[in-house]
Amino acid sequence: MKKAYIKSIQYYLPEAVLDNEVISKAHPEWSIEKIAAKTGIYKRHIAAEDEFSSDMAVKAAEKLFASEQVNREDIDFVILCTQSPDYFLPTTACLLQDRLQLRKNIGAFDFNLGCSGFIYGLGICKGLIATGQASNILFITAETYSKFIHQEDKSNKTLFGDAAAATWISADKSEGEVAAEIFDFSYSTDGNGAGYLMVKNGGVRNRYSQSETKEDENGYVSNDDYLFMDGKAIFNFTAFQVPQLIKDTVAKNELTIDEIDLFILHQANEFMLQTIRKRTRIPEDKFLIHLRDCGNTVSSTIPIALYHAINDHKIKAGNKVLLSGFGVGLSAGGVVIQY
Amino acid sequence: MYEDKFIENFKSQFIDGDTIAVDASTDFRQIESWDSLTGMAVLVMIKDEYGIDMSDTDLKKCKTVGDIIDYVSAKSN
Repeated sequence: MKKAYIKSIQYYLPEAVLDNEVISKAHPEWSIEKIAAKTGIYKRHIAAEDEFSSDMAVKAAEKLFASEQVNREDIDFVILCTQSPDYFLPTTACLLQDRLQLRKNIGAFDFNLGCSGFIYGLGICKGLIATGQASNILFITAETYSKFIHQEDKSNKTLFGDAAAATWISADKSEGEVAAEIFDFSYSTDGNGAGYLMVKNGGVRNRYSQSETKEDENGYVSNDDYLFMDGKAIFNFTAFQVPQLIKDTVAKNELTIDEIDLFILHQANEFMLQTIRKRTRIPEDKFLIHLRDCGNTVSSTIPIALYHAINDHKIKAGNKVLLSGFGVGLSAGGVVIQY
Repeated sequence: MYEDKFIENFKSQFIDGDTIAVDASTDFRQIESWDSLTGMAVLVMIKDEYGIDMSDTDLKKCKTVGDIIDYVSAKSN
């Protein structure tokens, strides 16, 4: 079986910024300091009104091509992970093939996953490469969750930011090159929790409904046309299932927690990440936190954090890194990669 | 001793656990950094450290840290 490597990553953040000062001004019951302390987030980037997942995906991919590590002619598969596609159909990846001027004799498709998406995408890429169906894959994650968030929904507004990340995955690695081999995966799914994180309307089942805005006893606003999150249920899932998934992933790779050099988890929010870290007994210096300036960017948090870990020299040759994504679905996945 | 240890575990669930003052009589919802997620973290801690499934509804009935300690001790026996 051919090996698969993560070769390089570039990402794009939209221009407009929503910082804690603006949120605190709109919701005075939340201080700037409290938002930062609780979430670890200082600002999020928000897609422009006429900017969609495909536009952000193109920007991230063009950055990857501009880095001159990979030529667009060499790409033989393009995969997009998104839950905010431009259209019901066609699949956005077909638009990307054209807009990025990729070859026509290549495969292209989207898949729909949120915070676990980067891990599943790596799994798909590894499968395509191992079976000789592709050699150089352009794997993009892109979300505009901001378009799903009600303007009065202070919780979700505070957590989520828009972003796209483009990752080049290849069957080849040259001597001395900074690239990570993709090892073994663990997956986890519990559709019973589908309603904990959901945009109910706008799909085929509830296509045109315009729902009323409701407010609960704590002043939290919800509307079925927009993103709903049961924070407590998601917290519970994360606190108990993710440490187990991390243990499963480590065991699948015949390793122990101590043998992992760096843990890069989906950057949901800092409070949740610290709970997972404590329960899994991961030392702080091996646990990456990167959400200060972009927030929770859904499927792009892991590639963005990985990009910075490499650029900040937090990863050395030979290091084993555990990646894990979890959330909407409920869906989760973990993998070990080695540089 | 049991009470001191519990209070330490309880405090460490707060983002500013190092700086807040807590004893058994503390009305924990009045602590500034308290919120519903801290409550969830407390329930996770109780399950991990004491092996007890305390529900959100049970926690709602507690006013002071001592009330939680009483609940946990009663369930441990």
